[in-house]
Amino acid sequence: MFLDLSEEQKLIQDTARDFAKAELEPVAASLDQGDDRSPLLNNLKKLAELGFMGLNVKGEYGGSEAGVVSFSLAITEIARACASTAVTVSVNNMVAEVIQAVGSEEQRNAYIPKICSGEYAAGGFALTETCAGSDPAGMCTQAVDDGDSWVLNGSKIFITSAPYAGVFVAWAVTDKDAPKGKGISCFLVEAGTKGLVIGKEEKKMGQHASATNEVIFDDCRIPKSALMGKLNDGFRIAAGELAGGRIGIGSLGLGVGLAAMDYSTRYATERSQFGQKISNFQAIQWMIADAYTELEAARLLLMSAAYRKEAGKSFAREASMAKMFATEAANKACYKALQMLGGYGYTQDFPVERYARDARITAIYEGTNEIQRVIISRDILKNFS
Amino acid sequence: MKLLVCIKQVPDLESRFKPDAAGVWYNETDLAFRMNEYDEYAVEQAVRLREQLGEGCELTVLSIGPDRVVEAIKKSLAMGCDNAAHIQDAAAYSKDPWQIASIISAYAKERNFDIIFTGMQSQDRGSAQVGVIVAELLGIACTTTIVNFDYDNGTITAKRELEGGIKGVVKLKTPALVTCQLGLNVPRYPTLPNIMKAKKKEITAISVAELLKEESLAATTSFHPPAKKGGGIVLEGDIADQVEKVIAILKDKTAVLR
Repeated sequence: MFLDLSEEQKLIQDTARDFAKAELEPVAASLDQGDDRSPLLNNLKKLAELGFMGLNVKGEYGGSEAGVVSFSLAITEIARACASTAVTVSVNNMVAEVIQAVGSEEQRNAYIPKICSGEYAAGGFALTETCAGSDPAGMCTQAVDDGDSWVLNGSKIFITSAPYAGVFVAWAVTDKDAPKGKGISCFLVEAGTKGLVIGKEEKKMGQHASATNEVIFDDCRIPKSALMGKLNDGFRIAAGELAGGRIGIGSLGLGVGLAAMDYSTRYATERSQFGQKISNFQAIQWMIADAYTELEAARLLLMSAAYRKEAGKSFAREASMAKMFATEAANKACYKALQMLGGYGYTQDFPVERYARDARITAIYEGTNEIQRVIISRDILKNFS
Repeated sequence: MKLLVCIKQVPDLESRFKPDAAGVWYNETDLAFRMNEYDEYAVEQAVRLREQLGEGCELTVLSIGPDRVVEAIKKSLAMGCDNAAHIQDAAAYSKDPWQIASIISAYAKERNFDIIFTGMQSQDRGSAQVGVIVAELLGIACTTTIVNFDYDNGTITAKRELEGGIKGVVKLKTPALVTCQLGLNVPRYPTLPNIMKAKKKEITAISVAELLKEESLAATTSFHPPAKKGGGIVLEGDIADQVEKVIAILKDKTAVLR
């Protein structure tokens, strides 16, 4: 068994780390607290130029062909500095990958290079609805066949990067009489299409720099050629692509957890109470030991899932395990890190409260961790029945 | 036109250093390695010249060391070098600057490079001797600690850094060697597609025994890890004096006020 990274993977990790430290970390706190999103958009453009928007995308579409392990490593390093940037990069990669996986050659050539090059600041993944969160097959948005076009009506919620996405992968019901999940199709909707309305932005607990909006389809007419994949096959596409996205979100959680623990551990070696460094106290030592052990376990789960996807093996169960474990390890790490800083950890003078807010959503989005447990247990139980 | 850039892989300077078993160098176990900072400036400048000269120019990167140095070589290739020479030497750390320079000059002698770039010094040994000895052994012109570089029609115009922020301008006819200092440029990040494409670039492996014919002249006999960090520099005096001292330190020790 060989657990070391290749030289290319190490170089990509180093590049992501160096870029994150030099460009992302200095603006992360002000992005969290301010309304000006231009530093985020500038950095997204630079990341695209370096090849971070299509890590697992073929070179012919403008991707880097660096693979899934590199994708995971890059997201972790970016998230150590700025979770909002990391989630945008993760979603952009997922959108590029879904178009590569199921799009026609024309669709791939039309959209993937624009995502990879940064011509589009972002891509949107428009699946969730107010009535269809953990149960996406229960969606209400409809697409009606109208001669040479499809007409979409309905609304999506919690759509990452919606105000600056150049294209949306959007799901809608195309056969409302079909059994649940069998009548949903997947479409590509360009920003600026008449009837595509970017709705209100959510005021969130964390990851403030990443916009999360409602997206409304109001008699939104798109060409017949905007159907992606087969008619009524959209739910299967969504389920498959979300599995890959989970590696991204798990990696993001790992990055935030590591950032929190690195900060608090350094703090513990500098902060004195009772005449000695607080890192001398066993209570602090155990927090350090527990958090880093869990984060290391998370890293190994993520590497296993990423390796399996890259090698063309089944990976949905492993991706769910990694996402669930890593994001919970990250939340626990942030809790401990904040505790180690005491009252200072609760103030905005230190970054740990931001890490704690940014980490919280990772246990919810890209499939709640409860849904991950459903996926994992279902996959295990089928071997026992 | 043939260009050579020499690089070294060094430990991350934030590492904790412990002596090795022989007590003459640091223990490499668990250290993270990266390209020597000054060599990154050298690679960047060499790649810029390579881009300026275009077709017909060939840029080779050279590194001496164990297998791990291939990562630094690949970074240079991803930044824009055309090909590489890996002088394989598991005991490169034990060689003194004279031996390292002898190895490089033995490699370069028959290959007739027009310009050789090196870092000003390595961040671990810090002798600042290798570049100038290579130039001497090859009998070519040399200037050190450059912070600006121009090339036109066989002539290099280099701005050098002297003590206290004073600068000097030197003109050299090629063939020549320059050693690169902080402030020369901002090294590019290698793009991910270029990192992947670098896999296909040629890395020629050469055993150090083929090139090294010299004995050590200044062997390191013991190694001492740094003492625990103190509390930094405490400036005293009235505010105006302190401000002047801060500015002097920033000018002298950093790139902030250059």
